[in-house]
Amino acid sequence: MDASITTLPFPAVGEGTRARTRVDHKTSEEAALVRRVQARDEMAFREVVERYQSKVFSIIFGILRNRNDAEDIAQQVFAKVYFSIKSFDFRSSLLTWVYKITVNECYDYLRKKRVRKLVYESDFSREDAQRMEASEPAIDAGVPADTRLAQRDLILKLLSKVSEEERTLILMKEVEGHSVEELAGMTGLNENTIKVKLFRTRQKLLKAAGRLTRIR
Amino acid sequence: MHREIRDHIEDVLRGGDTLKHAREHLAQCDECRTEVQGMQEQTELIRELRAPEDFAADLRPGFYARVMERIEAEGPISIWNLFIESAFGRRIAVASLALALLIGVYVVTSERSAEDATVALQSQQQATMEQTFVAGEDAPAREITRVDQSQTDQSSEDAVLANLVTYREQ
Repeated sequence: MDASITTLPFPAVGEGTRARTRVDHKTSEEAALVRRVQARDEMAFREVVERYQSKVFSIIFGILRNRNDAEDIAQQVFAKVYFSIKSFDFRSSLLTWVYKITVNECYDYLRKKRVRKLVYESDFSREDAQRMEASEPAIDAGVPADTRLAQRDLILKLLSKVSEEERTLILMKEVEGHSVEELAGMTGLNENTIKVKLFRTRQKLLKAAGRLTRIR
Repeated sequence: MHREIRDHIEDVLRGGDTLKHAREHLAQCDECRTEVQGMQEQTELIRELRAPEDFAADLRPGFYARVMERIEAEGPISIWNLFIESAFGRRIAVASLALALLIGVYVVTSERSAEDATVALQSQQQATMEQTFVAGEDAPAREITRVDQSQTDQSSEDAVLANLVTYREQ
């Protein structure tokens, strides 16, 4: 890896692209809706919930693959949106903000689940715990039977090693399929910054994967 | 990774029409090729987190009502929730408890040592008083010893003077 990467200019972006992707999130129709929610207008909040509930549900299901827990987490996401909407500063789109809350809630759920599992397993013998670990499709199981599950476990673990912002960006890019230009519009950052952040995230993921493989 | 690839990494990973010089560089540079390959594999893994194509995000009816129930149950976030729920808040709470424990241990041990010191002082004073009392009983004996000593000194002085006198006479 190139250690001097931070000192080098990065990357060469066409002159015209930076200004083109600037979106003013303060004057859009969505901003008016958010202001109504901030003023505790319940109809406006209902509109936000109805607008994003399917999206939130599919993001959660994509990460956790558990329909029962997905609804519970989706409820929690919208409760967070309701309580924190006053801190929304219109620098990004509402979807980007909701997306970030959703991914964070998923990781919070995984963390709590891991703690619960550790506490639960501490009551069993080592053999019992190993048998359960091999049988259940847990997100952080040591040796899951299915390779696909193992790969999902690995990538979720790796994504937990980067910052919230980096995780949201890479997921929006690769899972939601947004282009760099679209991401710039949604986040209020310029394309150059998005590219730099994505590149650094990818490098961090590679390094984390290297460390994890060495440990294993 | 070299700049030729780094500058166009998103295009390279997308696998579309990459620039000619990026393709040429990848063909020559093992280091960049290995790193790009690793990033491509990871990108494929991340894309596995997409909900399946046939996934129907059909929530049970009444989702909004359940969200509102939860909001009413949770109530507004208080300042205490920030301390209890956030990791930073929890760390502060743990640090404060540890500090309080340390202060408590310090106070208890210092009070004990102060009590010990008082007891030691009292016992020392008592011992001194006892010694004084014992010394009071010995006083005449000591005086006698002192008198004896002075007498011995006097006699030795006389002996020296007598020697000097006899020396001069000789």
